Amino acid sequence: MKRAFLGEFEEVVLLTVAVLDEEAYGVTITQELEQKIGRAVGFSTVHTTLQRLEEKGYLSSRMGGATAERGGRRKRFFMVTATGRKALHEVKLVRDELWRALPPQTLQLMGS
Amino acid sequence: MNMRPYSPGTVKPPRWAEKLLTWWGHPDTLEEVQGDLLELHDYWVQTVGEKEANRRYGISVLRLLRPFAKPIQSHEYPQPEYRTTFILSPDMLRNYLTIAWRTLAHNKVYTFINVIGLSIGLAAAMLIMLYTKDEVSYDQFHANNPNIYRITTRNITPEGKQESVGGNTGYFQGPKFSEGVPEIQSFVRIRNHRYDIKQGTEVTSQQVLFTDPNFFAVFSFPLLSGNPQTALLQPKSVVISDEMAKKQFGTTDVLGKIIQFKDSYAENSQFEPYTVTGVAQKSPQNSSIKFDVLVPLVVSKEDMENKTNWFNIFLNTFVLLEPKADISRVASKMNQIYLADAKETIKEMATKYGFKSKVEYALQPFTDMHLNKELPADNGLVDSSNPVYSYILSGIALFILVIACINFVNLTVARSLKRAKEIGIRKVVGGGRTQLTLQFLGESFLLCFCAFAFGLILVQLVLPTFNQLSNKALALSYLFDANLVAGYIALFFVTGLLAGFYPALVLSSFNPVQTLYSRFRLSGRNYLQKSLVVLQFAIASFLIIGTLTIHAQFDYLTTKSLGYDDTHVISVEKSGLKHSEAKLFREELLKNPTIVSVALKNGGQWGTIAKINGETQQNFTYETVDPTYLSLFRIPVVKGRNFSADLPTDSTQSVLVNETFVKESGWKNPLGQVVDFWYNPNEKYRVVGVVKDHHFESLNQKIGPQLFTMKPGNSYGKAFIKIKPGSETASLNYIEKTFKKLFPINPYAYTFLDEDNRSKYEAEAKWKQIMLFGAILTIFISCIGLFGLATLSAERRTKEIGIRKVMGASVSSLVQLLSSDFLRLVGFSFLLAFPAAWYAIRAWLENYPYRIDISIWTFVSAAILSILIALLTVSFQSIKAALGNPITSLRSE
Repeated sequence: MKRAFLGEFEEVVLLTVAVLDEEAYGVTITQELEQKIGRAVGFSTVHTTLQRLEEKGYLSSRMGGATAERGGRRKRFFMVTATGRKALHEVKLVRDELWRALPPQTLQLMGS
Repeated sequence: MNMRPYSPGTVKPPRWAEKLLTWWGHPDTLEEVQGDLLELHDYWVQTVGEKEANRRYGISVLRLLRPFAKPIQSHEYPQPEYRTTFILSPDMLRNYLTIAWRTLAHNKVYTFINVIGLSIGLAAAMLIMLYTKDEVSYDQFHANNPNIYRITTRNITPEGKQESVGGNTGYFQGPKFSEGVPEIQSFVRIRNHRYDIKQGTEVTSQQVLFTDPNFFAVFSFPLLSGNPQTALLQPKSVVISDEMAKKQFGTTDVLGKIIQFKDSYAENSQFEPYTVTGVAQKSPQNSSIKFDVLVPLVVSKEDMENKTNWFNIFLNTFVLLEPKADISRVASKMNQIYLADAKETIKEMATKYGFKSKVEYALQPFTDMHLNKELPADNGLVDSSNPVYSYILSGIALFILVIACINFVNLTVARSLKRAKEIGIRKVVGGGRTQLTLQFLGESFLLCFCAFAFGLILVQLVLPTFNQLSNKALALSYLFDANLVAGYIALFFVTGLLAGFYPALVLSSFNPVQTLYSRFRLSGRNYLQKSLVVLQFAIASFLIIGTLTIHAQFDYLTTKSLGYDDTHVISVEKSGLKHSEAKLFREELLKNPTIVSVALKNGGQWGTIAKINGETQQNFTYETVDPTYLSLFRIPVVKGRNFSADLPTDSTQSVLVNETFVKESGWKNPLGQVVDFWYNPNEKYRVVGVVKDHHFESLNQKIGPQLFTMKPGNSYGKAFIKIKPGSETASLNYIEKTFKKLFPINPYAYTFLDEDNRSKYEAEAKWKQIMLFGAILTIFISCIGLFGLATLSAERRTKEIGIRKVMGASVSSLVQLLSSDFLRLVGFSFLLAFPAAWYAIRAWLENYPYRIDISIWTFVSAAILSILIALLTVSFQSIKAALGNPITSLRSE
């Protein structure tokens, strides 16, 4: 199978959805990213990324949970699909391999 | 991040952004995006302040606008609301076609009735369109149209009243007007004449047209060979049609060949050689000018100098005007020229002949001529027609088509009960009214299309008969004309709409709940259906009455006694027959015992003027006869005596007149009265006898004053030969032999006088047939419609009939029950038809001076006929229903 390609931001968003578990929808994801990454993330960027991830099959969604403060509108909750999880694992594997391949002196230089 | 005290929802995001999002956000994700942004906005207000929150909200909205996005129908984004199927989606179309096919196939009788009716109607309409198109297209093919005009005249009495109009002119008008009026580019005169033509040893008489050299420059008649500019320049040249060339020479390659011609009318004329200088294509069917032989018109110098020729009117003159010439100015210039040039002659005419009317010249567009009643195409121009024919024919075609459409409407609406369930189901599963209307309209178009195809086949089949009836040479290839094709397509759509629109509206309006609970009944009395049946039968009985009247009038015309005995009389023409020759001819003929008697008369129809009672001028028909004429025809002399061969003074001093002449002259005692031909010196006659009025012309003409003379200077033109009954072959043989012996260079042709007389009513005979066809077709279509309705009503009432039978109703009472409804409608239709028919036939009969009276029996027999036909149609179904076994109709439930 072709290797899944995940952009940096996509990876982060996908991870965030996984972190938020049952509570992942537009607002929470945006807020979580803002707090974790520490920079203002545009809602539109998050929204389009979520759409793209769903198109790629890494995410699935369902509608539900309307609240008054949303003007009675429902939320779209996102869940990481099996493919999504696999993709995250692969990305992590690549990273880990790269880290392991790092020569010890360089590792020391990086100060960890 | 320090949180300020805040209650959610108090600060709203900017309205413009909200609106923008609702309009142009992606429809698939609009709901959650709106919700998310609202929530975030609240959050931003609390964290970064209202201003920054609004800014972020705005930016997010702008970046999320997807103005061109279409909602995707997928399981991932299911649409919350129900959406109807596209009306014309292929699936639905397939379903419509299937259903239409099944209903049509299931109800074969109705389909048959509708298709046959509509195709007859459409075929009739198509034929009439062909006919009308041909009528309208007459003479349109000339490239110089609309600048070709015919010079016409108007006679105006001294009191300023228009006396008469005429389409004919003489030698002068063409050349003199075109010389003096700069707008006239050229002129063409066309004169009708006859030439005897030699073909081997046979001599036949042939119509020829004399014309001017620029004939081919003004009119667009293509030449197969020969130069159109020079073909008619030389006096003894001739242009013939390709048909004529084939007949005469067997080939069309005949340039330079010689044809022998001899003037048929001029005395002492001899055969002279003419050189063929051109071969023309056969003249088109829609041309008023049709020629086989075209010869240059030669006018002698004396004729051009004789100013009285302004008043000799016997040919047609066409002029080609400059484009954009002012017609009224050209006409007034023409009149100025005439008044200046003919000044002396006008005076002379007034003093010498008492012709005091003023002559005015006018121009008639060439293309107007064909359908003009007042200024018809005559004197060598042919096919003059009356627009009334087009109107009558269109009327009949329209009637037929309307009746066929009525059938369709009636049957579809009446049958709709059976489809009520289908309509109910369609509505329940979401079929809209538009959809149903479209479906039923589509079905009617489908049917109409079949009918259209059949109609085309029908047209092809009946075209020969129609051509014969309408005196035309139409072909289906005429159809390949943009206008006509457009007309036919329009006809198709109009018929489809006419037939399908009302049923579509009715059917689509059914209430699904009622139809599905089988509580549905077609609303009460059904006035529309009834009035349509009434209309149908009104039209049919109108046409029946018309046909009966035309038949009666035709019978009257052909069988009414003409006042003379025309049986066993052979008429032989010989122009310029001198009295001495006539005597010889008679003697030779009478040698044969089968020939009873021989009488002579002038050829053609002569008319002249003379003075009676001193100064009164009297117009009359001028007959040059011999003493046997009246006795041969058994025309009684009511006063005085017949001419006598023994009294030589009879030929120079005596005349006979008919009763009308006496009446118009106001003579109490006609014998001995003087008739003065004052313009000839010493020509005065005394009346020696009064002849009983007889129809010397056709019965379409009123008997006019008639005068008989034996003046020796007038040559005879016709011999009437009375033969013994049963001796036709022998007599004809003998007459031909004698004629060829005595007059070897004259063409011989004979007719039987009674046949000749009958042929004067050809027009009536044709209209008789056309009306008969029209009436039969309308009745046929009305009847199949009625048959369909009767079948339906019998079907609907099977249970009722069953119960009635069980209770003891007799078959005859049931038939009466089922038929009386329809018969009442047919009876009602007479109320409409009779006044209209009475009015129409009265107007038509007024064309005939001798006509039948409108008889009540015409109406009675038409009524009986309609009722009988309707009864036959309806009772077939009624009897079938009444004879049915009640068990079968009542058992099922």
